[in-house]
Amino acid sequence: MTGTLRSIADPCRVLVLDDEPLILLDLEFALEDAGCEPLTALDLVEALAIVHSNAISAAILDVSLGQGQTCEQVARQLADMGVPYVLHTGDLDRMDEGVRKLGGTLVPKPTPAAVVVARALEPLAIRQD
Amino acid sequence: MNRNIPDPSSPAAPGNQAPVTNDSANAPYAGSSFGGSFAGISGLDIGGKGIADVQFAQAMAQTHLAICLCDPHQDDMPVVFANRAFIKLSGYEEHEILGRNCRFLQGPKSDRQTIARIRSSLRNEEVLVVEILNYRKDGSTFWNALHLGPVYNADGKLIYFLGSQWDVSDVRAARAEERHAREMARELSHRMKNMFAVIGGIVNFTGRVRGIETEAREINDRIQALGRAYETTLDDSHRGTVEVGQAIRAVLAPYDPGSTRIRFEGNGLRSDFASVSVLGLALHELAVNAARHGALSQENGYVTVAWQRNIGEHGPAIRIDWSEHGNPAADQATGRNLSGSDGIVDRMLDMARGGIVREWGEAGLKASLTIPLREHTD
Repeated sequence: MTGTLRSIADPCRVLVLDDEPLILLDLEFALEDAGCEPLTALDLVEALAIVHSNAISAAILDVSLGQGQTCEQVARQLADMGVPYVLHTGDLDRMDEGVRKLGGTLVPKPTPAAVVVARALEPLAIRQD
Repeated sequence: MNRNIPDPSSPAAPGNQAPVTNDSANAPYAGSSFGGSFAGISGLDIGGKGIADVQFAQAMAQTHLAICLCDPHQDDMPVVFANRAFIKLSGYEEHEILGRNCRFLQGPKSDRQTIARIRSSLRNEEVLVVEILNYRKDGSTFWNALHLGPVYNADGKLIYFLGSQWDVSDVRAARAEERHAREMARELSHRMKNMFAVIGGIVNFTGRVRGIETEAREINDRIQALGRAYETTLDDSHRGTVEVGQAIRAVLAPYDPGSTRIRFEGNGLRSDFASVSVLGLALHELAVNAARHGALSQENGYVTVAWQRNIGEHGPAIRIDWSEHGNPAADQATGRNLSGSDGIVDRMLDMARGGIVREWGEAGLKASLTIPLREHTD
């Protein structure tokens, strides 16, 4: 593990939401490499449960979750809580206004997992400075 | 049946005019060469105002734009004039049209809101342009681009409403088809991007658990370059060809996040899909090398990429000139060792019946790639 050491009191927990398990696996590794604690969710219900019961530092959200679902509800909650997130999507045009307005950073799919993680953690680095 | 037809210059309300019959002897222009010879014109009161009016009436009657006039001063605003194109479009005979309100063109599937808009425009004497589903006499439907608006006389008094009808069914069908094709392309693009992301996940995972992360990353970078090159093909997949410049830009984008270090020179040259993988991978390898050891590894280094259609020994070819600048340290020996460590570029281009020629100048590597161009006849 090459990540920076963090105190136990300040774990860098990152929510990863994607309906594709293989993408979750990839991002999970990349987050561990970056010294973060990945919390993975395959759907909205899992993601909302994680948001409610954990202190999240950042999030990586897939926009289209299948069956017409989008990550909007999670994004809205995170925005309300002031948690930075990136929208990791293969479909930038189709995102409805609701998701776009929330103002997350867009990271187009496919982007190497390490780069996605770096983009997600950017706001945290700025805060620590 | 009242067959009064407007005279824009006449102050008389149309209702005051004597009804004109089908008898051409009563028509104002009786005996003229066009009298009664085309639908609807027989009742047109041109008021004997001279050749310009005659020509105007003639134009109204003969134009391929379906036109009708309705009289707002009669009960239920009946049609009082319909030209030949209107008769042809609607499938009704002239006598079945005159005296009836225009709503006979509407049917069960005509949009209620559009009809309400028509009504409100008539009430407010406004000009309106709408598309509405209308019905012919035989029950068949057509999409009608309806323009309607008030006609006033010289005193500013409302005398008629003019409606023009245009069958835009073909236009609408084409629009729907285009929309469908666009949606399909977008869905395809979405799925493809997702699939490439998943492939990336699999390769990374395998590399990690087998302890070959470096190799896995190299494989992944190649696959992702391929994905970017193909992504550009989806937008106009129906054409069967790819814009070479778009594919080049997409492949190289990650190596120049600020869009300052790779300069593009080329036109809208198109190529078949088969060239995309070779072209995409070759440029990816050149960029990787430039980023590691070439111009893109130097602070002020940059690369120009030019593409053009070229007639080579074996017919037309895509020629790509890759020129690195600001990399004076480059020398042929190291360059050769580093250019595509496993020789994939050379072997791929050979296999595609193309080739690559490398030269090391003072500014750095100059590579010229050729890929045969299989040209489509569009």
